[in-house]
Amino acid sequence: MVLTLLKESIVFALGALVANKLRTFLSLLGITIGIFAIITVFTIVDSLERNIRGSVQSLGDNVVFVMKWPWTFGPDYPWWKYMNRPVPEYSELAEVQRKAKSIDAIGFRIGTRKVLKHNNNTIENALVSGWSYGYGQVKSFEIVDGRYFREDEAEGGYNVVMLGHTLAEGLFPNNEYPIGKTIKVAGRNCKVIGLFKKEGESMLGNSMDNQAVVPYNFARLFMDVKSENSDPFIAAKAKPGVTNAQLKDELTGIMRSIRGLKPLADDDFALNETNLLSKNFDGLFDIVGIAGAIIGGFSILVGGFGIANIMFVSVRERTNIIGIQKSLGAKNYFILAQFLFEAVFLSLMGGIIGLLLIYGLTLAAGGVIDMEITLTRSNIILGLTISVLIGIISGFIPAYGASQLDPVEAIRTN
Amino acid sequence: MAQVTRPKDIRIVTIIALILVLLAFPMLFTPSIKRMGDFIPMTLGIIITMQFVSLIGIWHMKQWGVQLFIIMFCIRVITFMFLDLYEFRFFFNIFYSITFIVFFLIHYRKMDTNL
Repeated sequence: MVLTLLKESIVFALGALVANKLRTFLSLLGITIGIFAIITVFTIVDSLERNIRGSVQSLGDNVVFVMKWPWTFGPDYPWWKYMNRPVPEYSELAEVQRKAKSIDAIGFRIGTRKVLKHNNNTIENALVSGWSYGYGQVKSFEIVDGRYFREDEAEGGYNVVMLGHTLAEGLFPNNEYPIGKTIKVAGRNCKVIGLFKKEGESMLGNSMDNQAVVPYNFARLFMDVKSENSDPFIAAKAKPGVTNAQLKDELTGIMRSIRGLKPLADDDFALNETNLLSKNFDGLFDIVGIAGAIIGGFSILVGGFGIANIMFVSVRERTNIIGIQKSLGAKNYFILAQFLFEAVFLSLMGGIIGLLLIYGLTLAAGGVIDMEITLTRSNIILGLTISVLIGIISGFIPAYGASQLDPVEAIRTN
Repeated sequence: MAQVTRPKDIRIVTIIALILVLLAFPMLFTPSIKRMGDFIPMTLGIIITMQFVSLIGIWHMKQWGVQLFIIMFCIRVITFMFLDLYEFRFFFNIFYSITFIVFFLIHYRKMDTNL
């Protein structure tokens, strides 16, 4: 019985919406814009967050980086103290490796911009990284074709190179197979032995797509290993069960002894962790998210006022019909459901259109930027929920008012 | 059916409660709530919406409004406890909701029993 009445009220509501197409369209436009605004902000923020977390993840959660400069910047950042610090050196790597007990893997890395060339194809300012053999066990990456360099190749400074997806495409256009081919890295011949899997754009700028990796002992032939511009660092990965704090304590002691620092002297190196980066970005994303929530929240409320306004007009126009329905035995909840459904339907339609627009935007953005922007399930659920709830909030007052009308008074209304 | 006159204190309390409920709505979109799970903003949204509906009922001096408000208050407290949201807003919410409920219960007998 109740279901039949509800079904009837839905049919009435749909009839009213179809009868006033332009009004229906204009009133759902407010919600469309509101949902579009808020879910677009969330989609972009979520995508950026996912990208950065992915980049941080590839550096390793349980990895500590021995560097010259710390990653944390505060208002009292004493940069002048760090200026004269020495950069980490390859010779320190072996010492750390020998003394450390809590290290699972350790590696050294330098990198700078160089020219890559193959036949007539030249890439300028390509990031060329020199890795020690162990760095491959610290950093996570995937090789889709070929292989990682062997330990003897790394130690002997063999002229072998692994290429990122973008570099390989640039040097070997027309689907040429790069493995086994010789390219020039900073003017030196180098054999391509591996290709990294395509990673896409990285917010931290550490995507493997734009990197060429050579053994450190080969890289030092054309890179200034003592220069800060080569950004040298040691990366140490903790053994399972060892916390980053424990690893940092051990590394601090070892590095101080290697550099012969007196007990009261300050450290002349920085120990950085990826979670420092994550924490910095968490704060940033929270601020952007809250700003988006406030702007989007109020734009949705404004859209809700539009729907409420239309519903008041709708009730006013159909007052005598309500009177006739009630005099023929329609219950209060039937009238309430009829108008409430109309409001919810309007709002939901607005929300769905808003979500479809965002979906179209993500598809268009995917073709323009090399970063994955996806409309996630949680944002779809949020968008639809907000639409329905706004429909209820904005439609309840006019719908309840309609349900409380006196049938005699309502029939008399013109 | 005779219309029940709305006392002035109910009018004031309902308006304040409506403002607080509507201001709580953007809270659904905050990153901290979103991070709790896909369905948490939906759950909190339903609670806020039902509180809004209950306040409309109270505005029209209907007993179902007070009943719904109390039920939603209990569900909200349980949900917040379940989510470990022991923050300032949780205790503030309990404080003002109990104050409102006291006001509503004072006038409960005068309210209409119909829908």
